Amino acid sequence: MEKQTEITDELKDVSPTLASMEKVNVFQIPEDYFSDFDAKILTTIFLQDKKNNFQKVPEGYFNSLSDNILSKIKSENSETPSEEIKAISPALHYLKEEKVFDVPENYFDNLSDRILKKIKPPKTKVISFSSRKWWRYAAAAVVTGVVAISSLQIFNHNSNPVTTDKAIMQLASQYKTPAQIDKGIASLNDEEIVNYLEKNGTILDEETISKNVDTTALPSEDDYLLDENTLNNYLNEINAEANQKTQ
Amino acid sequence: MFKTENNMTENLNDLELLALYKDPATKERGFTAIIKKYQEKLYWHIRRMVITHEDADDVLQNMFIKVWKALENFREESQLYTWLYRIATNESLTFLSQQKKRNSISLSDDENGLSNKLKSDTNFDANKLEWKLQLAIQSLPEKQRLVFNLRYYDEMPYEEMSHVLETSEGALKASYHHAAKKIENYILNN
Repeated sequence: MEKQTEITDELKDVSPTLASMEKVNVFQIPEDYFSDFDAKILTTIFLQDKKNNFQKVPEGYFNSLSDNILSKIKSENSETPSEEIKAISPALHYLKEEKVFDVPENYFDNLSDRILKKIKPPKTKVISFSSRKWWRYAAAAVVTGVVAISSLQIFNHNSNPVTTDKAIMQLASQYKTPAQIDKGIASLNDEEIVNYLEKNGTILDEETISKNVDTTALPSEDDYLLDENTLNNYLNEINAEANQKTQ
Repeated sequence: MFKTENNMTENLNDLELLALYKDPATKERGFTAIIKKYQEKLYWHIRRMVITHEDADDVLQNMFIKVWKALENFREESQLYTWLYRIATNESLTFLSQQKKRNSISLSDDENGLSNKLKSDTNFDANKLEWKLQLAIQSLPEKQRLVFNLRYYDEMPYEEMSHVLETSEGALKASYHHAAKKIENYILNN
């Protein structure tokens, strides 16, 4: 080719050495580099395009982002209880309206009056009673002790311990109110009382009594202040339990 | 179903009611109005915990008697409504624990006295789903039962419930989901 010759001649003029060397390509390329070259170029162009779009953010997006997130959180929290239970258990959702418990008619009408009545009147009457509450237990214990020991000594010489306990419990159940205790004391003669106190005098020691009485199960002071029947109920309960245990 | 009395205090908000209570001249009127405003909600909350009407009546009256004294020291930054619920809850739990003690003293083997109370209700019907639901609720641990009742029946927001039960909202939510699932299983398998 003429052109080829021209270029070779030119090189010969400039550098005979170079012109005499064989032209060898020292660089290598991956196999099939060009076979899918066009596809590669097109894909790159496509992705470039997409990337530009990805990087674009709707106008004002960041200004309202925090508001959007907060309102999303709020709507999640504001899930109503009925929506919530419907999601957890539809059965429970539909069961909810079924009423099971009855309330006495007009119960709520005068409830506040009944409560106010309990709050207002008899406080002064009751204060001394609550501060001496252990006396009533002590008095009942002493009277029961005297009556039990003197009567059992007379009538029950050969009784075994179980029936004795039972008998004492039965006797004790007769002395629940101050009137009954007074009556019990009145029925005793002086000698019986003196004998009993000589044998069991320490029981009147307040410390001993308070140590030996399990106050955890006693009705609370608030209950006493409000309702004198509480104590009677409590005593009835102890008696019932004691009878049950001895049976 | 229940009549409410028409009176001047009916539409007052909690702050106005508290103001009435704090003025010696209107103290009782304010207190009465507070009772009337909350008595039914609190009654049902207590009733679902202690089951019988008689016990609920006792607990409710006792709690309001305590409220009468405690209101003197009520700080207005807490909500009256959640404060009352907290007292009702504590009173119910105290009542139940006292009962448990008594049951163990009387040598009774009945550990789940509340189910028996349900069963002795005159309307009880073991075949009816609504009674099965009640039995299922009683089978839950106490705290879970409270959470379930407050959410399911009282529809209380978790934020308020967290003040009543002094537990985090997340824990309450988890507890409620747990409870509802347990109850559903109980109903399906019994």
